[in-house]
Amino acid sequence: MAKAFYLKLAVANIKRSREIYIPHFLATAIISGVFFLICGLVSSDGLTNLPSGVTAQTIFSAGIFLFAVFSVIFMLYINGFLMKRRKREFGLYGVLGLSKRHIGRMLVWENVLVLGLGVVCGIAAALIFGKLLFLLLLRAIHTAPNSEFIIGPEAYLMTLGLFVLVFVVTSVINLVRVHISNPIQLLYSEKKGDKDSRFIVPRAVVGIICLGVAYFFALTIDIPATAIGVFLLLAVLVIIATNALFVAGSIVVLRLLRKRKKLYYKPKNFIAISGMFQRMKQNASGLAVICILSTMLIITVATTTSLYLGQEEQLRASYPFDVEIWLYPDADQEISSQTLVAIDRDLAEAAAGCGASLSADLEGKSGPAAEEIANGSTYDYELLEHSVVRMNMVLMFDIEGSDEAYQEFLEQIPDVMTPHGISFSYSDIESIRVDAYAFSGGLLFLGVFFGILFLVITILVIYFKQITEGYEDKERFAILQKVGMNDTQVKETINRQILWVFFLPLLVAVCHTVAASKIICVMLQGFELYNSTLVLGCIGITCAIFAVIYLIVFRLTAKVYYRIVKW
Amino acid sequence: MVQELLRCENIKKVYHTKLGLQSYTALNDVNFSLAAGEFVAVMGPSGSGKTTLLNILASLDQPTSGNVLLEGQNFRDIPEKDLAQFRRDNLGFVFQDFNLLDTFSLKDNILLPLVLSQTPVKEMERRLQPVAAMLHIEDLLTKYPYEVSGGEKQRAAVARAVITEPKIILADEPTGALDSKSSTNLLQIFRALNESGKTILMVTHSSMAASYAKRVLFIKDGAIYSQIYRGEEDNHAFFERIVNNITVLSNGGVDIG
Ligand SMILES: Nc1ncnc2c1ncn2[C@@H]1O[C@H](COP(=O)(O)OP(=O)(O)O)[C@@H](O)[C@H]1O
Ligand SMILES: [Mg+2]
Repeated sequence: MAKAFYLKLAVANIKRSREIYIPHFLATAIISGVFFLICGLVSSDGLTNLPSGVTAQTIFSAGIFLFAVFSVIFMLYINGFLMKRRKREFGLYGVLGLSKRHIGRMLVWENVLVLGLGVVCGIAAALIFGKLLFLLLLRAIHTAPNSEFIIGPEAYLMTLGLFVLVFVVTSVINLVRVHISNPIQLLYSEKKGDKDSRFIVPRAVVGIICLGVAYFFALTIDIPATAIGVFLLLAVLVIIATNALFVAGSIVVLRLLRKRKKLYYKPKNFIAISGMFQRMKQNASGLAVICILSTMLIITVATTTSLYLGQEEQLRASYPFDVEIWLYPDADQEISSQTLVAIDRDLAEAAAGCGASLSADLEGKSGPAAEEIANGSTYDYELLEHSVVRMNMVLMFDIEGSDEAYQEFLEQIPDVMTPHGISFSYSDIESIRVDAYAFSGGLLFLGVFFGILFLVITILVIYFKQITEGYEDKERFAILQKVGMNDTQVKETINRQILWVFFLPLLVAVCHTVAASKIICVMLQGFELYNSTLVLGCIGITCAIFAVIYLIVFRLTAKVYYRIVKW
Repeated sequence: MVQELLRCENIKKVYHTKLGLQSYTALNDVNFSLAAGEFVAVMGPSGSGKTTLLNILASLDQPTSGNVLLEGQNFRDIPEKDLAQFRRDNLGFVFQDFNLLDTFSLKDNILLPLVLSQTPVKEMERRLQPVAAMLHIEDLLTKYPYEVSGGEKQRAAVARAVITEPKIILADEPTGALDSKSSTNLLQIFRALNESGKTILMVTHSSMAASYAKRVLFIKDGAIYSQIYRGEEDNHAFFERIVNNITVLSNGGVDIG
């Protein structure tokens, strides 16, 4: 048969299942677009040339890999979902005399069309919005927008590579799947009733234990280094627990409810409990995925936002004064107080020469370093005449004056220090700040990119769920009506079930986030961010915004559901 | 004269296409009445409007014109919101494709209408016992629909229809999806139900199924064309008479399955 035939068949299939393929296409476009942008930012000369660009690029490079892994897993998930839905269709083709090879070719064409179109549109959109995004990034990393945004060929290659990989893997999976099945099996596959899964109670118990352990440590650990060390492990425990509890725990609870006859045989509960039973059996892992993704989304965005917003505070905590000069006397060298007085005087004179002045105001400074100095507890601390603070072998002071005076004075520091004959190094807050913002700004961007990825995945999983359940429920509710349930009852039941099924993941995600907020605060202390109020605020606001988006997505996809069920 | 239970007066049903451009008259002018304790079969070829008629009798659909009365109560006088309750209390249904819910065990499927009527648990279990025994499904109650055979599913569906003790049982091609052994078994159950006092209206295109009834109505061109009574005949003789009647009908241009 002619090639054009399969292409036509593929186009027809895509058109017919557009309610699934359009979201699939959109997801492909968004994911490829975002991926392309990350790659573009990494390889962009515009960024490399910036003073702090390299820091940001390093962060992005680490992110690319993770992003790619998530994207591939997700594309595989979508593909699996599509194939499962279409099993019967393939069976029918088989019975009608389309050979497996032909079905395979048709599938490959479909894959080419959807992925190809998605990637092309994604890259096109990225090119359009990329410029804007680049400007935003420059702002976020506190750099003047004087560099060009040019996406190098690497970005195209990497994006193409990723999606060719997705294409090859999904195509191979589909071909294998079509080849090992027989048409009759395919034809009846969807009708098979789902049996009670095994090991329900042990799995539920494992879930509870994992969750308990993870929550316990998350709430009790208060050493930053330990927190950072075990966080990933705890995350894995929570993922295992979430999955087990959705899959097995829900069934255990529902079984218990079903045993309580007085409760179970009430009209509302009767339909709802058995309906939930069915849904949890079929969709529990999907719901668990939604829940885990939502949690990751909230935590990623909240953490990166608080790091970014807390950047200034964090800087001041580590560097209470604008300038620090570290002295490294030789082993036999002693620094006399005269030397210090001389340095103090010389620095003040140099500053005055540039039109600036020194100051050392502990007021309004917070953070551990400032507190140490103020209390003079552990450190040997003194305030010299011209406002230079000496703490151990470190000289510190603030500079008052214009930006130009500040820079000019900084450049003179070596000239001032060298004559005193002590080895030294010095740092100033402005150059540290630039680096710091490159780090936290880059991280924030990455956080937002991942947020978008997780959001797209979450939305699509929810949407697919609504569609699948719509078709199943359509039949069930028609029967219920025939048996004597009125419209209002049917609607009420539907609403209750949808609410439960869709808000359970959100609820659990928020619960996980709340449990994780303590350990997140502790971890961020490891990054010198001590403002727990800020961190908790970021978590709270992210949760709230996410809940609103979730609600909107729910409302929109529920419409699709109602249209299918026709109420 | 026995008490009249159900009456159809000049029932007409016209289906319109989506845009309302074309219309199709499925039922033209159907008149008949049913006495309490009867077992009536309505026969007609595929597409003759049997399901349409049954849906109207079941109050699942409204006729374009004409009236349906159950014990003198006109369906049109029942407010929309009470219709479901009315259906639950007075009518029992058996469908060709069983219409059991896969999410419920057979027991829960059977109890469904009682649960919807908020019957106490004790009362439900009291009623379930004899019904399950009569339909020989006591051992299957904890199974799920996908775990039992077609005949067993249909018996569960019958149990669901009779457990509310409805005034009339409406069955749409109840043997349509069953093999001949299960069909015979089901029809014998119908007969037994009828002998215990239940009123049954069954729609079918099978002469064998119809031969179990006490009276057969023939539907053609959207109207009742003729009817025959069993009288004192046995199944076999009645079957012969039904087939003969159909032959007469077909000679008049109707092909019957
Ligand atoms: N909802 C509907 N809309 C339009 N036409 C219908 C509808 N339902 C049934 N019909 C038409 O009415 C006729 C009778 O259908 P039906 O009552 O199902 O027949 P039967 O059950 O005797 O086979 C058929 O020609 C069918 O096409
Ligand atoms: Mg029919």
